[in-house]
Amino acid sequence: MALSGKSSAERFGEVVLPHLADAVAFARWLTGSREDAEDVVQEACLKAYAGIDTYAGGNARAWLLAIVRNVSYTWLAKNRPRALVVVGDLADLDEFAAGRETETADPEGPEAALIAKADTAALEAAIADLPHPFREVLVLRDINGLTYREIAAMLGVPLGTVMSRLSRARGLLMSELGSER
Amino acid sequence: MSEENALPTNGTDLRLLLHALADGELDAATTLSVERRLAGDPALAAEYARILALRTAIGGLPRPDVSDAFRARIAALADGEKATGRPTEHRLGSFDWRAMAASILVTAAVASGATYWATSRIAQSSFVGEIASAQQRSLLAASPVDVASSDRHTVKPWLDARIGMSPPTVDLSKDGYVLLGGRVDVIENRPVPALVYQLRKHLITLIAAPRESGSEPVPVAKDLSTGGFSLIHWTEGAFSYWAISDISASELQEFVTRFRAAAAAG
Repeated sequence: MALSGKSSAERFGEVVLPHLADAVAFARWLTGSREDAEDVVQEACLKAYAGIDTYAGGNARAWLLAIVRNVSYTWLAKNRPRALVVVGDLADLDEFAAGRETETADPEGPEAALIAKADTAALEAAIADLPHPFREVLVLRDINGLTYREIAAMLGVPLGTVMSRLSRARGLLMSELGSER
Repeated sequence: MSEENALPTNGTDLRLLLHALADGELDAATTLSVERRLAGDPALAAEYARILALRTAIGGLPRPDVSDAFRARIAALADGEKATGRPTEHRLGSFDWRAMAASILVTAAVASGATYWATSRIAQSSFVGEIASAQQRSLLAASPVDVASSDRHTVKPWLDARIGMSPPTVDLSKDGYVLLGGRVDVIENRPVPALVYQLRKHLITLIAAPRESGSEPVPVAKDLSTGGFSLIHWTEGAFSYWAISDISASELQEFVTRFRAAAAAG
């Protein structure tokens, strides 16, 4: 018990610090800016340190990213309330995406080569334009490299929801990039 | 068995499987089925190519690099006391991280308060109280020892050179007690040597003070433990010993027995 202070610092070093880059990348996409991401990650790390005893083993990266996600949304609610505006509830959103997807999913679709050549700024803008629930799944999967199951556990949603949001996020990006030029 | 009987007929569900295939989330049997379907369906294959292209494009996005300064700032959070006066303190705005820092400090205060409570209860005499404080300080300090060495032939001369005396320093590593080193504690304004052993994650501090002339010998180790802290006292030769630790009294007694046996043999 008396040693917990020391071992907390040690555990913090082992559990949190190796995943700092992932935490910053995730927060950058949730908050929209690099500077805000550092503030959010610093806050998340304070929480992670205070709650290091609640880390029960398992995927340390997913554990840290879950904290980053909570802190990001709290931060956004306070500092960028408009960024969080979601029209209707999630069911509406899923329908909305489905609508846009079928609308644009012509049999040909954009050329894969066109998507592959998309310039960085256009791709980043397209990701930033995704509604939050889609963007976070896309970033967790394609930038942080979490598995479907890890994402489902973190968000507390069924695996199928993760899969459909990911599919829709990518569908929106593909049609956006395909129509760019 | 039809090779595609496991695949959904619905286009939306089939598309989910394409993404799962690109992400390596399918089992071998389903992977095989989807790959066979792809081979015979150009539209589906084109969609799959788009998914792969998009993944590659996203994977090629520049990732924000974590500056050394930021990394150092985060690493310093674990040091607690440095957690004030950050350059970004004001940028956090309405996000009250000061409250967070304060709550960590409160937690730390509660934790050390518990230790204080435990130590103050055994402070039957000021001498014992000071031993307990020394142990407490050593737990809070960055290093519990002033000379860090598992070699008793290093620790003993170091103590001799510092304060002109040293208790028997024995090697108990084969019993699981690793000698971390030694330090000098000041008890009742007198410097006294202390040895620090580690058992698993726990520290055992062994303080050896020269016996006062005319003091009662305590040949049988006396258990002075109370809530939270184990403390065992005995005398041997010219020294009075106090072993203090957060392990249970019976475990500490085991250490004392082995230490005395080894000291007598050495």
